[in-house]
Amino acid sequence: MAHTVLVTGATGMIGQALVPLLARRNDVRAIFALTHTREYMASSYKVTPVRSDLTAGPDLGVTPEFGREILDRTTAIVHAAANTRFSASLEEARAVNLEGTKNLLAFASHCPRLKAFAALSTVHVAGKRTGTICEEDLDHTSGFVNSYEQSKYEAELLLRESMSALPISVLRLSTVLGSTTGEVRRMAAIHYALRLYYNSLAPMIPGKQDSLVDLIAVDYAAGAVEHFAVEDFLAGRTFHICGGENALTLARLLELTREAFLRYRPSWRKRAIEMPAIVDLPTFELFARSVEEVGDHILRSSVAIIKHFVPQLVYSKIFSDVECARSLQAKGFLKPSVLEFYPQVVRWLVESSWGEHGTQAGGAGA
Amino acid sequence: MQVGISAIEYVLGSDTVSVDELEARGMLDSPAVRLSEFGFSCARLSRESSNTLATAATSKLLGTTGVDRTSIDALFYAGATPSCHAVVTPDPLSAFNYPVAQLQYELELTHATAFGVSQVGCLGLMASVALAKDFLLSSESASRALCVSADVLPAGCRREMIYNVISDGACAVLLEKECGRNRILAYRQVTKGYYWNSIAQKNEITAAYFPTARNIVRDTLADANLDSSDISCILPHNVSLRSWEILLGLIQIGREKLFAENIAKMAHVIAADNWINLRDAAETGRLHHGDKLLLFTFGFGANWACMVLEH
Repeated sequence: MAHTVLVTGATGMIGQALVPLLARRNDVRAIFALTHTREYMASSYKVTPVRSDLTAGPDLGVTPEFGREILDRTTAIVHAAANTRFSASLEEARAVNLEGTKNLLAFASHCPRLKAFAALSTVHVAGKRTGTICEEDLDHTSGFVNSYEQSKYEAELLLRESMSALPISVLRLSTVLGSTTGEVRRMAAIHYALRLYYNSLAPMIPGKQDSLVDLIAVDYAAGAVEHFAVEDFLAGRTFHICGGENALTLARLLELTREAFLRYRPSWRKRAIEMPAIVDLPTFELFARSVEEVGDHILRSSVAIIKHFVPQLVYSKIFSDVECARSLQAKGFLKPSVLEFYPQVVRWLVESSWGEHGTQAGGAGA
Repeated sequence: MQVGISAIEYVLGSDTVSVDELEARGMLDSPAVRLSEFGFSCARLSRESSNTLATAATSKLLGTTGVDRTSIDALFYAGATPSCHAVVTPDPLSAFNYPVAQLQYELELTHATAFGVSQVGCLGLMASVALAKDFLLSSESASRALCVSADVLPAGCRREMIYNVISDGACAVLLEKECGRNRILAYRQVTKGYYWNSIAQKNEITAAYFPTARNIVRDTLADANLDSSDISCILPHNVSLRSWEILLGLIQIGREKLFAENIAKMAHVIAADNWINLRDAAETGRLHHGDKLLLFTFGFGANWACMVLEH
């Protein structure tokens, strides 16, 4: 079957990696790459950039003529657009993550040839739940660490409601770090947090020594999304694209980070910067409150970066990816080892000064 | 062979000035109400010089103990600020007018070898006590050492450093061989030169303070074959109560073990806090024979120090 794929969030971390993968496929005829704010350089003749705004309404802010063409031709939708800013207000997060999804579902309901709607989400819709989180789990009353988690949870509820009317599957990603070669095309909170540690501005992290940190490489994530969106689409299902049992403990992650700093920037050793202390949440919150009350803007900014997502580590959990792994392994698609790609990402960050100048560390695009 | 601390005396600046008054005089960076929330109510300001306060504290100790002055084998003089290490006049030669020698002379400590301890900020007195212990243990004939700290900030200068209110004062600590009281069980000091620039790296120092403090406390307890549950009382440096509450969370010791009574009424007496607190905690009956005591302090430079005593 030939696909015409509509991708929202084409300039996002996943979208940037996904569109070229789709374009390489013989069974993909065309790609509508929806972007919100940035100019988009199409990587293939198959790709048609489309300026759009998911929050504009069910027409997605696309001109009526163009919108009609997209509606008529689209056979698959990959919904990757999201407001991933953890410090966003709930209202801001909902505008894109919930209302944008609602608008896209309304748009999709008018696509006569639609066979697949793959909605990207986050494993952290589990919020403050602890323990093992299964792929089909959703409903809970444990609360959330930030507006991103909550708005994506609400979007998933909406998606589940719509599964009876549309062919929808949900693909939950864990924290996307960078490529297996190390390159980071888009900085996120975790990269800024690593820079704080490097610069001696990260005194403590809430969590436990054995809290699990689930990280995935962007090429693995994009490949898995491609697989579940066009190769092996299964309507009504939810998959965890994550490290699962390969997740690192927080203590190990900090050790690996330190080792990578020392290996790739030997002069860092003489600073003798301590690893951030792993502390309970009340201690971290007291420190954060104190900095907000009296600290100058550098320290306040540092705490702000950490406090909107790191407290998730207090709610220790492991994400089961049994179904996802089974499907991918059947196609010979293996999960890269975090022990191998994590140091490469840290290397790229250090050698490029967190993307401020070029580096030879990465592979593609470096 | 064991070394213990047999006596402590101190004097504070004579003027008690509330944080509201400090704010009114333009001597604070943060609002007074914030510093009150952090546990400070006033500062003690001195009209006397640091060496005058040092002499007063040492005289008081010699008077209350009645110790034979000629039995003091070493005199360590600590001060955090450069001005505390010279009795300066316009003559360049006055840079060599050392207060430790003046103190040795005026108090007739004629057998005491004199040392100055500087450039370790607010842990000067704790470092002196550690050095004095090593001095006593390294010399068969030596039996007593006296450690003195004195710091007086210039008149009218700001009285807040990184959200802490600063007082003037001096403290004298007597160490003796074979002294069963306040036996020194372990001591660690860490210097991290990366943070030498206290102005440019204020944020980095604030951030480094907590994990480094946590680690040195952990390591010092390990040296003493203790864990945090063995500690009966923490004798702090009198920095903000808020920062102590955060540190207590890191080292997993309950708030009830912190001797915090002096933070409000004395503020941070630079190098003297831990020792003033040891004296006052003992005086008020808070300490019991055999109690394990934890002393922690930080000094610009940047230096972290921790000592464990058995009362």
